Order: sequence, then C-alpha cells, then structure tokens
Amino acid sequence: MARQQGWFALILALAIAAASVLSSFPLQLGLDLRGGSQLTLEVQPAGEITIIGAEQMEAVKAVLDRRVNGLGVAESTLQTVGDDQLVLQLPGVTDPTRAADVLGSTALLEFRAQQAETQEEVQNLRQLRAQLLSVLATRTEDEATELDAEEQEELARRQQELGLDGTATSETEQLQQLLARTNQEILNRFEPTAFTGKQLISAGRQQQQNGSGWEVTLNFNAEGGEKFAELTQSIAGTGRLLGIVLDGELISEASVGPQYKAAGISGGTASISGNFTAEDARDLEVQLRGGSLPLPVEILEVRTIGPSLGAENVRRSLIAALSGLVLVGIFMLLIYRLAGAVAVIALSLYALFNLAVYALIPVTLTLPGIAGFILSIGMAVDANVLIFERIKDELRRGNTLIRSIETGFSEAFSSIVDGHLTTLISCAALFFLGTGLVKGFAATLGIGVLLSLFTALTCTRTLLRFLMSYQGLRRPTNFLPASQLPSTAS
Amino acid sequence: MVTTSPATDERPLRFPLTSRRRQVWVVSAVCLVLSLIGIVRSWTDPQIGLPLRPGLDFTGGTQIQLERSCADACDSLSTVTVESQLQQIELPNQEGKALPKLENARVQLLDGGQSIVLRMPALTAAQGQAVIEALEPVAGPFEPGGQAVDTIGPSLGGQLLRSSLISLLVAFTGIALYITVRYDPRYAFLALVALAHDIVIVCGVFAWLGLATGHEVDSLFAVALLTIAGYSVNDTVVVFDRIRERHRMDGDLPLSTQVDRAVSATLTRTIYTSGTTLLPLIALILFGGSTLYWFAIALALGVIIGSWSSIALAPSLLSIWPSRSGAAASA
Repeated sequence: MARQQGWFALILALAIAAASVLSSFPLQLGLDLRGGSQLTLEVQPAGEITIIGAEQMEAVKAVLDRRVNGLGVAESTLQTVGDDQLVLQLPGVTDPTRAADVLGSTALLEFRAQQAETQEEVQNLRQLRAQLLSVLATRTEDEATELDAEEQEELARRQQELGLDGTATSETEQLQQLLARTNQEILNRFEPTAFTGKQLISAGRQQQQNGSGWEVTLNFNAEGGEKFAELTQSIAGTGRLLGIVLDGELISEASVGPQYKAAGISGGTASISGNFTAEDARDLEVQLRGGSLPLPVEILEVRTIGPSLGAENVRRSLIAALSGLVLVGIFMLLIYRLAGAVAVIALSLYALFNLAVYALIPVTLTLPGIAGFILSIGMAVDANVLIFERIKDELRRGNTLIRSIETGFSEAFSSIVDGHLTTLISCAALFFLGTGLVKGFAATLGIGVLLSLFTALTCTRTLLRFLMSYQGLRRPTNFLPASQLPSTAS
Repeated sequence: MVTTSPATDERPLRFPLTSRRRQVWVVSAVCLVLSLIGIVRSWTDPQIGLPLRPGLDFTGGTQIQLERSCADACDSLSTVTVESQLQQIELPNQEGKALPKLENARVQLLDGGQSIVLRMPALTAAQGQAVIEALEPVAGPFEPGGQAVDTIGPSLGGQLLRSSLISLLVAFTGIALYITVRYDPRYAFLALVALAHDIVIVCGVFAWLGLATGHEVDSLFAVALLTIAGYSVNDTVVVFDRIRERHRMDGDLPLSTQVDRAVSATLTRTIYTSGTTLLPLIALILFGGSTLYWFAIALALGVIIGSWSSIALAPSLLSIWPSRSGAAASA
C-alpha cells in the first residue's frame, strides 16, 4: 500500500509539473499553423568547388544569416538541413518575394579604402557607433529604460546631424535607426577598389603571438597579393582605414601600420587584429570565407501560408483531436465500465504529459505532427484495451477481481512492450533518416509511444489499485456484465 | 509470470481461422492482384508513367490556394473565367530562365467556389504574387491572410521519396531483427509479409483512385504509408505474442489449433483497438479539413487492412509453416 501511495504521489506531482510547464512555456507552432513563409535553399557547387562540404555550408550560411537579419523579420530562423540545404523560416511573412530576391544572389565581398581627408569624420562616427552599441546592448525589448535628459538631448542632436527626423515610436527604435544611419555614413566614407573577395583564397584565425587575443588571417592568390600590397601601401601611415564590405555592409575596418608605407602588405597573406575574442574572430573569419565563395544559392521550395488559413488548420485539428478523444472515452466507458473510467483519466493524463513534453523540448507542432499525436492516442488506448481484455479473461475464468487485475497487467506486459518497441524502432528510423514533415510526425509519434508505455503501465495500474482499495467498488460487475461471469464466482 | 490461469481455454472458438484459411487467402490474393493491376496500369499509363499519380510534392511546380472573401455567398465563378484570366498575365521576368507557361494551369474550385486552387509550373515568389494580383479583379476580393502558395522544385520530391524509402528499409530491418531476437525468424518474416500486403493494397487503392478520378498522392501519403507500416507490425506482434504464449501452454496440440485459439483470444482486442484508432481518424476525416482529409483516409484504410492481415493472413500462414516450427518454437 505504501508503494501504491508513492506511485500515486509521483503521478500527481508529474501532472502538476506538466500543467505548470504548459502554463509557463507556450507550445511552438509550425508555420503551417501560424502562417508564414518557408524557403528551402540549395547551395550549388560552382567553379573549383564541386562538392559542398560542412565548411562551405558554414561560410554560406554566415553570409545568408546576415542577409536574413537585414530582412528584419522577428523570430526568423535559418537552419542547415542535410548536406547542402538550408531552410529559412519567416513567421508572419506572406509575400516572400523580397526574401527570395535577397537570398538568391551570391555573396559579394569587397575591400574598400577610406577616402582621403575623412579621418576625423570617421573617427567621430566610429565613436558614436561604439556608444550606440553599448547603450543598445543594455536594452532589451520589454525593458524600456528611459534615457536621462542629457542622453535624450544627445540623441536628438545626433539624429539631426545625420538627417533623421526622430519619428520612430520607441527610443530603442530611434537608437537602432541612428545606428543603421551611422553605419551607412561610415560606409559612405569608403571608396571601392579593384580588390574583391574573388582574390581571397581562404581565411583563418589564430591566437596572437603575445597571447592577448585572436587575429583573423587572410590568404590571397597571386593577383590578390599584388593588389592588396598596392592598396595597403596607399593608405599605410595616413590614418585611413581598410574597410571590409560584405553585401554592401561594412563588417570590419582595419588600420594599416606606417611600417608598410614602403611596400604595402606583401607576400599574399595578411592578418587583422583588434582585440578580437575567439568568437569575434570566428564570426569575421566565417563571413570572409563566405564572401570569398561565390557559390550560387538556388531556391528549391517556397511554402507560404496565410495566418488565417493557419488558424483554420489549428481550429480544425483541435476539433478533430478533441472529438477523437471524446469518442474514444465514450467507447471505453461503454465497454469497460469502471476500468474504462480509469482509462479515460489515464488518457487525459497522457494527453497532458504529451503537450508538456512538446512545450519543454520544444517540439514545433506542425500539421503532420498533430496527426502523429492523434495516432499515438490510438496506441495509448491499445495498451489499455490489452490490459482490460486480459482482466476480463481472468474474471470469466472465475478468478477473484484483485487477482484478475494483477494477472491482467502482468500478462499484457509483454505484448504492450513489444508492440510499443517495434513502433519506436520505426519512429527512430523515420526521425533520423526522414526529412521535414516526416521528422515532425516521427517526433510526436515517438514521444507519444514512450509516454503511452509509462501511462499504461503505471497510471492505469496505480489508479485501478487505488480504486480497488474501496470495498464498494470491488465488484466484478463493475468490469463486465454479470452474464459473462461464471456462475460459481465468489 | 503465469500463475493460476487454467492451462487451456475451454471457450468455443469465435473465429475458426484454420478451417476458413482458404477463404482468407482468396480474399487477400484477390485484393493483392487487383491492387497490382491498378499499380501496373498506372505505371504503363502514358499520362502517369509511375505506380501512383504523383502530386506537386513530387513533380515540382507551384500551387496557389486563395480564400475568397464573400459576405454571404460567393458570386458564381467558373474555372474557365479563371483560366482565361491566367492566359493574359504577363509574368515578371527572371533573368536567365524561361518564363513558365500558364496554359497548362489546372484550376479547381473548392468549398462551393469559396476557395480556388491553382496548379502551375514552378513560379518564383514574385511571379506567384503577380498571378494573385491578376486574379483579384475577376475572383477577388481575397481573404487577407487566407492564401497559401507552395513552390516546390522537382529535386526535393525525389529527395523525400529517397529518404522515406531508406528510412522504411531501415525500420523494416530493425523490426525484423527485434522480432527475430524476441520471437523467431518465422514471425519476423510473416510480420513483414503482412506489412507488404497492407502497403501494396493501400497503394493499389490510391493507384486506382489516380486512374479513375485523377487523385494525386502528396508527401503526406508517404507519411501515411510509414505509419501504416508501424501500426501493422504492432498489430501483428500482439497476435504472435499470444500464439507464442499458447505454444507454451498447449505445446502438445497441433500448431493450427494453437493459432486458432490465440487468434480467438486476441480477436476482441484487435477489433477494439482498430476501432479506437479509427475513431480519431474518422474525426480527422470529418473535421480535419482538406489538408488532412486524404491522409486520414489512407490511414483509416491501412488500419482496416492491417487488422485483417494480423487477424487472418499472418496467423493462417504461420499455421502451414513446415514442421521444423515445432522444434524452433519450443526452444
């Protein structure tokens, strides 16, 4: 009995935990349920690169990440799928034309030289940018810390200087606009050169000799080495900077020391240092590599679904899931009486646990995912049916109720485990080898099968034993019609 | 584990499988042959050329679905109007590629003309928007947020098919190994026979549907087949588990009697389980909407055929397995 109560307490605790998980972590809905666009992109081999490897993918993804961020879509995600594909999700976007345009072009990496006589201007702008970045870093979207009067004045002055009218709604937005404008202004002070990413062979990173930080190394081809030497010679010692521009955005500025005045940075290699952390260096390195790879990206698939159509899908699958559960519940009550009531409670717990696990992992719910869940309900019911049929068999043979229940559970055990494990094997194969919607389906079905094993073997059992501790409920006719009991039953 | 149950079940057989096994085989064989004819006819059909009529997910192309916003009822709209409007569209150019032809576009009206489904060769995102804008005057106004545009490259469908087949093969091998270890290689072989039977028949039905009504299978159909595979094996394993148990209890009786008793003992369970799995599927068919409609139908069909193969086909085949079985099963 003490063990029983232990199980009972565990189930109750799990149910409460599941409910609280659900209330604090929202379920994540896939694009087919909330509306939005999904683009599948394939990186095409080109030139000397005949096979797309992990390194190329990382580089291309870094370039695309930057462009996706430029789209300004909240919660957009870009993920690598398989060997050479990327999936971009844009929640809420129903016209993916711009995204398709932006992603379709190949990366353009340029090295630009700062214009003469702009040193002071650029110095000021860079200072402003550093200031803005540090202010923005302390602000999150929800937390609207007000700028003090002095700062506000400064902001207004700067906005006016750069020709912004300051009409953006929130201070954070105003700051961001100002930052974007500042970046643009800095970029305007740089002029294009003949030197582009095509002449860059590779980029790497290494720890600086004195161990204080990281530096990014560049490797050029022969032509690039010459041009780079020319370029650096022209700006060395003048205080002008070398700008690295990816897809029209400045990603780094470097100064060239006066010692290169005579011959420029020659030898086909260069390094950029500047208090980089390992992470900063890595970011820059990957972007440089991406920029040096002119790999075309082809759009294989665009799926767009409007938000109201998505909401309709949610509504319909909810109705289907609920009515399915209700129908199954009625069926169980009619056939198995008291045990059916236990099954209904166990199945409700099952549904609750499932949703909690989806929210916790989190599993992004898609339409096939919901179908997998609805199907796993069928599996969960099957476990209960197996147990109750065995109990009925034992009762018909004239066994006592308590003994029938125990035997029923122990005899159904192997069928339940075998049935669930074989389904789990398929789920694992589908999950690890399948793609896209197959994966989502396998995930929910697999989670469902695991949980069903738990609820059938513990929840149903504990609840049934708990009810049997009440004398009044301990009647075989609570389980099957009297006509099916042997006449000699005690 | 088994303690007090009487060794033999005296209740009369509810389903005398062995005496009816010829009928069972005839039914399964007829279904299989009809299915194969459908598949082969579809394969040799010059218009299809594949075992099943492939949908957009496999052939590639663009599908646009538009919900019309009408206050009470939508004014009547004919597919011809939409088609002629499509001819006049000037698509925005995409450099380096030929403009897709809209002459072969297929137009479908659903929900009493409330929603329009267009199927066309693959369009770019900009071209898709141009089509929607061009249709607005004749078929609009459209529900904002009530549109779905899917463009799929043909290579992606092949990829989906390949990965589905590979995962199915891996799953089969895994299941066969599991059953071999837990039971017997014969059981594994017969579970896979039952599984192949179920899948061929479901495919056959959809092949005939493709021939007769032009129904196309989509990627969800592939998911449905994978599910049927899992479900079918699960169902068969439960029956086999009972046969093995009977074998331990009445090992001296003929194998066919053991099989009969095991099938009768699990009959109620198999029917109830299929019934309770069908209930949510019926709910999906009725309320799930057009996206999941055919998916649920394929699954429901698979559940029904799967029950048949696990109640009747697989056990009846086991009962005629050559005599080595006695030695193997008692080991």
